[in-house]
Amino acid sequence: MSDLVTGIRAQVRDLLARRRVEYVVGYETGSDGVNARPFFAYTTEEADRLVFDNTCTHNLTKYLVEPERRGSTIGVVVKPCDARSLTVLLAEHKFPRDVVAIGVVCPGIVQRTREGGDGEAPQARCQVCDQHTPPACDILVGEATAEGPVLDQFARLAPLEAQSAAERSAFWSQQFERCLRCYACRQTCPQCYCDECFAEALDPEWVGVRIGRAENWLFHAIRCFHLAGRCIGCDECERVCPVKIPLGLLNRKLRKEVLDRFEYRAGTRSDERPPLETFRKEEKLDLA
Amino acid sequence: MLDLTPDMKLFSLRLQDPAVAESLHYEVGQFALVSVFGVGEAAFDISSLDAPRAALEFAVRRVGTLTEALHEMEEGSVVGVRGPFGNCFPMAEYEGRNLVVIGGGSGMAPLRSVVNYVVQPARRERFGQLLILNGARTPADLAFKHEFEKWASSPQTCLELTVDRGDDDWRGRVALIPDVVRELKPSPLDCVAIVCGPPIMIKFTLKALKDLGFADSQLVGTVETKMKCGIGKCGRCNVGDKYVCLDGPVFTFAEIGRFLEEF
Amino acid sequence: MTAQRITRQGLLDWLNGVAAKATLIAPVRVEGIYLFRPIVKIEDIALDYSQSTVPPKEWLFPRSDTLFTIERLDRAYELKPPAAAGPRVLFGIRPCDARALAILDRLFLAEPADNLYEERRQNTVLVGLACARQQLPECFCTSLGGGPQEAANVDVLLAGAGEAYTVTVATEKGQQLLSGATLRDGGEMPPAPSLSNQVPTAGMAERLRLAFNSSYWQRLADRCLGCKMCTYLCPTCHCFDIRDCDVGGHAERVRCWDGCQSALFTKLAGGHNPRASKAARLRQFYAHKYLYFPERFGVTQCVGCGRCAHFCPVNIDIRETLRDLQTLEVCPHGSGETARRREPVGAAFGDSRASA
Repeated sequence: MSDLVTGIRAQVRDLLARRRVEYVVGYETGSDGVNARPFFAYTTEEADRLVFDNTCTHNLTKYLVEPERRGSTIGVVVKPCDARSLTVLLAEHKFPRDVVAIGVVCPGIVQRTREGGDGEAPQARCQVCDQHTPPACDILVGEATAEGPVLDQFARLAPLEAQSAAERSAFWSQQFERCLRCYACRQTCPQCYCDECFAEALDPEWVGVRIGRAENWLFHAIRCFHLAGRCIGCDECERVCPVKIPLGLLNRKLRKEVLDRFEYRAGTRSDERPPLETFRKEEKLDLA
Repeated sequence: MLDLTPDMKLFSLRLQDPAVAESLHYEVGQFALVSVFGVGEAAFDISSLDAPRAALEFAVRRVGTLTEALHEMEEGSVVGVRGPFGNCFPMAEYEGRNLVVIGGGSGMAPLRSVVNYVVQPARRERFGQLLILNGARTPADLAFKHEFEKWASSPQTCLELTVDRGDDDWRGRVALIPDVVRELKPSPLDCVAIVCGPPIMIKFTLKALKDLGFADSQLVGTVETKMKCGIGKCGRCNVGDKYVCLDGPVFTFAEIGRFLEEF
Repeated sequence: MTAQRITRQGLLDWLNGVAAKATLIAPVRVEGIYLFRPIVKIEDIALDYSQSTVPPKEWLFPRSDTLFTIERLDRAYELKPPAAAGPRVLFGIRPCDARALAILDRLFLAEPADNLYEERRQNTVLVGLACARQQLPECFCTSLGGGPQEAANVDVLLAGAGEAYTVTVATEKGQQLLSGATLRDGGEMPPAPSLSNQVPTAGMAERLRLAFNSSYWQRLADRCLGCKMCTYLCPTCHCFDIRDCDVGGHAERVRCWDGCQSALFTKLAGGHNPRASKAARLRQFYAHKYLYFPERFGVTQCVGCGRCAHFCPVNIDIRETLRDLQTLEVCPHGSGETARRREPVGAAFGDSRASA
């Protein structure tokens, strides 16, 4: 058993024994015996089911914003990127309730295709990750590492950016044609927490009910704008998409724009609202 | 179109095709799907009685986009109607028995046809006593006021009204329906009670009736679920092995109790 | 039933002929996944595909279906039905997905029949492709009476891989479709692949009834994200929404896939939602398949294709749920058991996982 697992279990046992939290959201080994899945530990015995390894892909902060959990005191295991999600949620005042963040020093998460296997290549987000120690958490498990050089987060965008607008339009049109609007991307995203999603609002009906290219396009376009300056790049939306729409590209592009224009990286400050939710006089408006 | 309450209107529909109008027949308690073309379609209980060349009537409360669109239509507008669908109140089975009809708010819509069926002079003596208990939040919210006199003057019939909150002109009861049931103490003997209204009102009214000795099989209601297709395909109204659009909306509470789920 | 043989080249030639007379729909590889799509070039067909991500049900019950278009006239509306579907050949359907269509038939063809589904069904010939191996790690068709070489629900079944296929003609429709194919006598069924999953499914209706109020559902729902993926990728899920929408200046009434895992599915216009919790919705998914549908239609509404388990973002695994239900403490309706069960989900897998 790794030191990380021993550390997490000890911390969770303690939190539960002291009744500091009602339950802790962490990871356990899934039904294939290999890949992790989310697990909710309610008792000190259940704390011993918790695991942590390079398959712990889920961003568990999603569970914190579920309406059904309002009023609960919750512990949550966070990787560095997940901690940035938490920071965004704190900045947006999504937590009148109590959360204990158990940060874990992250080894990087592996890419697994659904065909089974495909080896141990790190996920795209992990290949460019320059933050292996959770930036903000209440408890740290693992040894804080010195952060390496800041890597180019946006290399993956280059081929798409090199294309003409017409080519990009054709590319996305083809991608969105496959979308089933199962909403897994939205449901897995911690930054998607509206009580009524614009995509399902009936009055007014912003997005038609038809599951077709035009409606799908509108859904993904508006969703990525809603996430601009808020998406921390966990790429879970892309991982869960059953028809493999590269949503990470879309959100990455918006992250890049926000960084270029506002020098803002989502999830780094809990005392400031994201740039697209605020306006300052000195902000440049080159709308031409 | 007739204003029933500040947020409820009675719509009278005449079928355009005389042949269809001629062949249309429906039972008390059945529903139909009404379309506002370009807006959508929704299910409503039929509030009228089947009679030659009579209009189809629906009492509709303004609650969503479709009912909003209906409410804003002008007299003479064209809507679509599909139906009738679903089962019905087994009125023939109720003959010879006493009836207690309890409606809360817009829950009176499906019950209006039950009452009008029983109080028809040609049919009235087939039934025993009829107690109608109509409740609403305020006096203005009591639906079907234009028929109260007809109902109250029917032989062996008692119309009781109650509101949660009175106003300056209200001289009647200010009480919750379950409390009125306890006060009136209808006898369960050879009696069927039909209850329609919001879930919370149904829950406490049933309790009051059971305390008086009513068995689940003597308690009848309509189950309100979302419905889209009306023909048992879309799965919206699935509760247990029942599709409310095919097997309902009318159920006894003995049947509803076997649903497993609370609906 | 007669068994014959066809070579790979013979198969492609025949399919070229088929495509000239009907819309040929077959699995193709798109961005690393398989989908059933109309075929333009025969070479695009992924003959050795594993399993399509989206089941071929989408060609009989499409994700969006126009019921009619609405033209506004003076004081009236004209409703125009959509153009009729032409003849189609659905090639390469897996036995489980074909079995799923037979299940959907029970619902959609029950009186009053769903005319759009019925019309497409009558105009579609099913050419099955038997499984030469287990296609998804989670699939368990044999636990539900199906099998990797089942020919019962297709018109023609092909089995084999590589250079030759054994052809089983199951219906008259299939026989007609095969006219023009170069068949050789003496085909022999290749050995059936061994499948790793045996999942207990017997008596599940009763188990579900008994466990209806178990807090198991709350624990399972804890990690459910509430997306509709399981229902959309399920070859037997059939729920839909009907709405009017504006399409380029005129209105259409469309029906679109919808799923019981959405909170909006049962929410009434007034705001009341009888199935308001994730736990109740997740239970509905299983209860509908293994309790309600069998009560009404006489068959389980699941073919064990494994998609829901395979694609679930948080590993809600139907095999695990079915096993758990076998050993679950009994909390029947009305027993008042609402306390949170301390036994976590997946206990049937034992302690091996906890110590991993």
